[in-house]
Amino acid sequence: MGRFLLRRLLLALVTLWLASSLVFAFLLFLPGDPVQAILGLEASPEARAALERALGLDRPPGKRYLRWLAGLMRLDLGESIRYARPVASLVGERLALSLALVLLGLGGALLFALPLALWAARFPPVDLALSGLMAFLQSVPTFFLGVVLLYAFAVHLPLLPASGFPGWQDPLAALRHLLLPALTLALARAAVLFRMARGSLLEVLSQDYIRTARAKGVPEGWVLLKHALRPASLPVVTLLGLEGGFLLTGAVVVEAVFALPGLGGLALTALEARDYPLLQGLVLVMAALIVLFNLAVDLLYGLLDPRVEYA
Amino acid sequence: MRKLAVLLLLGLALAQNRGGELRVAVLAEPPVLDPTASTSQEIPRMLYDNVLQGLVKFNEKGEIVPALAERWEGSPSGLTWTFHLRKGVRFHNGSPFTAEDVLFKFNRARDPKSGHTHPEYYQDIGSVEAKDPYTVVFRLRQPNQDFLFNLARPDSVIGPKGRVEEQKTQPIGTGPFRFVAWERGVGVRLERFEGYYEPGLPYLDRVFFRFLPDQNAQLAALRAGDIHVIGLGVSPETALVLQKDPNFKVITGFTTTEITTGMNNSRPPFNDLRVRRAIQHAVDKKALVEGVMLGFGTPIGSHRSPGEGCYVDLSGFYPYDPAKAKALLQEAGYGPGNPLRFTFTLAAPYPYERRLGEAIAAQLAQIGVQARLEVVEWATWLSRVFRGADYQMTIIGHSEPNDIGIYANPNYYFRYDSPRFRELYTQYLRTPDAKKACDLMKEMQRLLAQDAVNLWVMNAPYLAAMRKEVMGWWPNQPTPSLNVTRVYLAR
Repeated sequence: MGRFLLRRLLLALVTLWLASSLVFAFLLFLPGDPVQAILGLEASPEARAALERALGLDRPPGKRYLRWLAGLMRLDLGESIRYARPVASLVGERLALSLALVLLGLGGALLFALPLALWAARFPPVDLALSGLMAFLQSVPTFFLGVVLLYAFAVHLPLLPASGFPGWQDPLAALRHLLLPALTLALARAAVLFRMARGSLLEVLSQDYIRTARAKGVPEGWVLLKHALRPASLPVVTLLGLEGGFLLTGAVVVEAVFALPGLGGLALTALEARDYPLLQGLVLVMAALIVLFNLAVDLLYGLLDPRVEYA
Repeated sequence: MRKLAVLLLLGLALAQNRGGELRVAVLAEPPVLDPTASTSQEIPRMLYDNVLQGLVKFNEKGEIVPALAERWEGSPSGLTWTFHLRKGVRFHNGSPFTAEDVLFKFNRARDPKSGHTHPEYYQDIGSVEAKDPYTVVFRLRQPNQDFLFNLARPDSVIGPKGRVEEQKTQPIGTGPFRFVAWERGVGVRLERFEGYYEPGLPYLDRVFFRFLPDQNAQLAALRAGDIHVIGLGVSPETALVLQKDPNFKVITGFTTTEITTGMNNSRPPFNDLRVRRAIQHAVDKKALVEGVMLGFGTPIGSHRSPGEGCYVDLSGFYPYDPAKAKALLQEAGYGPGNPLRFTFTLAAPYPYERRLGEAIAAQLAQIGVQARLEVVEWATWLSRVFRGADYQMTIIGHSEPNDIGIYANPNYYFRYDSPRFRELYTQYLRTPDAKKACDLMKEMQRLLAQDAVNLWVMNAPYLAAMRKEVMGWWPNQPTPSLNVTRVYLAR
């Protein structure tokens, strides 16, 4: 187990280095430059050159890359060009919100998907209706779903705040602001989880040992919960890990609809402004979180399936 | 006596309407909060005049009026400008405003190495001196007709002497509101400044500018009562809906944005004047305003907006006449056998310009012109079209006020190279005579229209939506500014 973790850690470091280096390389090929965004379109070459020097953009790419790596060794992600603030604090401010949104959203999705999948697997007549409903949810664009929920629960039935985020000082208020966006994410992502769970449950239910259990006279509900759910949840857990990583920045649409200051919006701004340090920092943090999620999934496997060994 | 009673009543009415918090949606978060550190228009939208002021400022009609200077005079030569500063003005941090602050500001602004935005606005300033703590004298190297105009721009706001870095995140000015907090990703909070020099102003206690990037979210927040005002960028579709709702009102007026179909004058096919003129005749601007903008916006015919000074209406200079357009194209060698073909580059982040571009392409198709539409991302547009002039036709809104001077630069992306225009522009810029300058400004607009440099489509409308009780909102945008100095909530 210890050796497994160590190997995974080393692998993770290589992954992180590769991801950030690739981003650095790709950014060199993108047209556009950050100086224009600061000085305006009509800036004189003199003023542009002065600012480029101040930002260190006049150095050759190789040197810039090494400087960035050296900073990284000291855990310094550098300073954002657009915001003129340390990248670490910009990312830090938004990380909590994005993580909370992803956890609430995926947790909610699981809460929808799993019981419904069990129901669908247990009673074939509802299966068709539920599968249809989920296919519908999956095909509704997230922004539309978000706006519908926004009008339903913030405008017509003013139960929840329409948008924005008040910060974490008041956790209850923060939660209230996260509820609608999390619900949007949950509904949108529940469909995939439902299909995966349903498919895998049906497969497990056709196994011989289930037939044996039924033949022994074990009640059907117990068969589902005790014998089928655990083995059937492996693919669902895998999917959760992947979704979690994707949603950290992939929730950008939901962030926009509910005006939430999350990582997705920040990444988009960084790309549009060609804010290289911020973008690299974001990719690094994101890659680290994805690696972490995947590690958590791998460890969960061991808990769910005693046959899994870490070697 | 009756007059006095009316005044008293008015005062009472206003006293009842004082106070409260106004919440305004803006589209995006700026990178910093100092308009001298970034050209992002989101900064002056929230802070111009509200928090940060210069010697002079624009009023809602676009006229230049006193701000920190109560009066000024220019010498007949146009070389010496004397500004008499308002006395007893304090910054929000309590320090007094004097000539020292003005000197610091403009010595920084005219130094191209200081990182100040648009150093070219200040390059004609030879020296700035303080005659006494309340009199400042600017000496120009050569007369500059736009000098006063440039002093009214958001770039010319004045902060306390010596304060540069801190202004980016904690702006301190002399306006009616003081900056309270910038909640990252959420909004900017302002609060009434008790020490403001204009008695009785402002009316509101607090203002909260909230960043709401999504149109639907803005509308939902307005309907839910989370915000009072959508400060800008209301879509024409939304405007029509809200106009019919008794709880809301839509305010519309002029901007300084000329939506311009840019043509590369240095490359085929648009290096041929006949082709450029054919394009003008082939496009029905009224139909574009009606069809794409649902009637909001004003057709224009040159590079100036109807709300700006010395404007000439040239929107009818080339009447819509497809037959004439066809004839001009034939003359230039294009016809059914050899149709005019080119690439029309659209910038992804601007939906209305994009829609207008698509509609223009459709109108051109009616006379057999084949425009291939291509949508590019913003940074790509900037580097390829704007910097490299590697394009044939494009469309974009030019929001800078008073920016006809771009046509005097042959390297600008239109690649318009006209010695005559450059001569007119220099004459305009260097004459100290305002009347003559105005005539020259009009002549420049006519020359651009004659040369059919670009297809100027329309002046983009300013569209804001708000709850019925919001009063005193600026109908126009002569400069990017959601000015809340005189805004109040009627009760």
